[in-house]
Amino acid sequence: MFEKILIANRGEIAVRIMRACQEMDISTIAVYSEADRKSLHVQVADEAWLIGPPPAVESYLDMEKIIEVAHRSGAEAIHPGYGFLAENAAFAKLCEKEKIIFIGPNSKALDLVGDKVRSRLTMEKAGVPIIPGMKTVHKRLSDYDAEARKIGYPLMVKASAGGGGKGMRIVWKPKDLRPSLESGRREAKSAFGDESVYLEKYIEEPRHVEFQVLADNYGNVVHLFERECSIQRRYQKIVEETPSQALNPEQRKKMGDMAKKVIQVSGYNNAGTVEFLLDKDKEFYFLEVNARLQVEHPVTELTSGVDLVHQQLMIAAGEKLSFKQEDIQPRGHSIECRIYAEDPLHNFLPSSGKVLFLKEPQGPGVRHDSGIYSGCDVPIYYDPILAKLIVWAEERDLACQRMVNALDDYVILGIKTTIDFLKEVIRHPQFRAGNTTTDFINKYFGQWKGKEKTEEDMKVALMASAFTDLERTVPTAAGFVEQKNVFSPWLSLGKWRIGGK
Amino acid sequence: MEFEFLVDDKPHKISLEKKEGKYIFTQGDNSFEADIHVISPHVISVIMGEQSYKVYFTQDKDKKYFYVAGNEYIIREPGEREESLERGEEGTSQDKLMIKAPMPGKVIKINVKEEEKVRKNQTLAIVEAMKMENEIKSSIEGYVKKIFVSAGDLVDSEKPLIELAHNE
Repeated sequence: MFEKILIANRGEIAVRIMRACQEMDISTIAVYSEADRKSLHVQVADEAWLIGPPPAVESYLDMEKIIEVAHRSGAEAIHPGYGFLAENAAFAKLCEKEKIIFIGPNSKALDLVGDKVRSRLTMEKAGVPIIPGMKTVHKRLSDYDAEARKIGYPLMVKASAGGGGKGMRIVWKPKDLRPSLESGRREAKSAFGDESVYLEKYIEEPRHVEFQVLADNYGNVVHLFERECSIQRRYQKIVEETPSQALNPEQRKKMGDMAKKVIQVSGYNNAGTVEFLLDKDKEFYFLEVNARLQVEHPVTELTSGVDLVHQQLMIAAGEKLSFKQEDIQPRGHSIECRIYAEDPLHNFLPSSGKVLFLKEPQGPGVRHDSGIYSGCDVPIYYDPILAKLIVWAEERDLACQRMVNALDDYVILGIKTTIDFLKEVIRHPQFRAGNTTTDFINKYFGQWKGKEKTEEDMKVALMASAFTDLERTVPTAAGFVEQKNVFSPWLSLGKWRIGGK
Repeated sequence: MEFEFLVDDKPHKISLEKKEGKYIFTQGDNSFEADIHVISPHVISVIMGEQSYKVYFTQDKDKKYFYVAGNEYIIREPGEREESLERGEEGTSQDKLMIKAPMPGKVIKINVKEEEKVRKNQTLAIVEAMKMENEIKSSIEGYVKKIFVSAGDLVDSEKPLIELAHNE
């Protein structure tokens, strides 16, 4: 096993990986940009190396710089997390050349599955069902017109290097094709450094069902069952769960076998996720392989009992999988909610700033994977994910209830987050009924105006506000103002004066 | 003691008096007795009519944040904000003409030129933050009076991007 690894990421996922390393007695090296000096991952790591200015291209995406730190710090391997360099075949290749182990698939497999167009072709040849669409990428925008006509509207613009919904656009009418291609290219370029986009038939009201797969370096492949990730905004998942309500055991087996086939055909190793779309008639289509640890990996961990980061590290270190397919017997139900720094009332606009106060949720079956703390800054430069809240329970209804309670017990003050919104999503009767499709948010929350506040709660808020002002004028009454050496917002109410006449 | 607070820009007049260790809260003609205690630097416990509330609290500059029963309340005291509201209609229509950055980010593209006529909801500019593109749309039918930024600029939230004017 490794003694020291570098984690080329930030935020909650870097912290998650470091925790696994600590459990396995592996030293951790954090890298950070100037914007992240005070970020949680820097505090959790054994060593922290500054790699550049805030923009990702000059820090977390700077391959040479990261390799240099790996050499100088004596790291044997690099874990890329998700995003940034995670699915960058050039980086995996560079690691191979520099004799540093890349904790992820080999560069050849990464090259193949990272190229959505080429992998579609490969899968089609191997008998894996794919969505009808383009099988090559064009340079000139005008060449897309004919392809669009051939496929038929509505259709999707997708980034060839894609993932996370970046560069993805749905096009309903021919006149919208050009602007969608342009902005899709721009976003793809900014997110992946590659502007190639292609067109695909748009499947209406689909479910997003993916299979977690582990493959060691000796050809052993096991899947750890599915996750349903249909609740999305901007083609990006915000709620994930397992098991999916849409699959029966027979279909689950069929798709699981197909997922393993996809991995085998690609010559893939380490942890990966095979994504499928499931249409109204429960026909499924191969979407893509996510060649990394997924944001939503914890739901699989809670139901399968397998720690995916441990497995990634063991596979990368050359160990064989210690279990077989029949050993994996999932138990119970798990749901994850992604906590983003976004304003659900304003089209999910990112909301950077300072987390003034954080109260983490607790309770049986509650897991909180977080990259934040009270007082931390949320910079504008990176993905707005703050944390993930994951629950497990014996069955789905209880898991939903547990999630709602945990969200109620979760307080982030100072920046806008998706917490309130997620609560309403989980409470929604259609979610409770398992009627989850990728247009769920548009359909049921398109006109969402926020949660109604009761008179009673407002009264308590006003009372508390008056109390904080009032007690400042009577400092001895509550006895808390005297502790001058302790930081407390109660002491810094200076700007507040008593209202009234 | 009387207080006036703004919650979501709506004014609320209340009073809170201390009496024999309890607090009397009055709003309009209604009064309630409450038992209020500080639990820790960010937590207050309120018991009102046997109902127990755990209130989380913090503050930043002129805003106080309270979290009660799953809802966040941002409370300010009346000041400049209210005055601008009192100016009413004129202020808001003026706001509509000045297109501001909705969040801190980077200007990716300006889609219009000065003097150019624009339709309502036409995309004027694209601002990127946290790896996401946001289209900045026109709030009115009119023309572009002035452009304050160019592609590549980093902008703060509320930074004026483009000024629009109604057609004469």
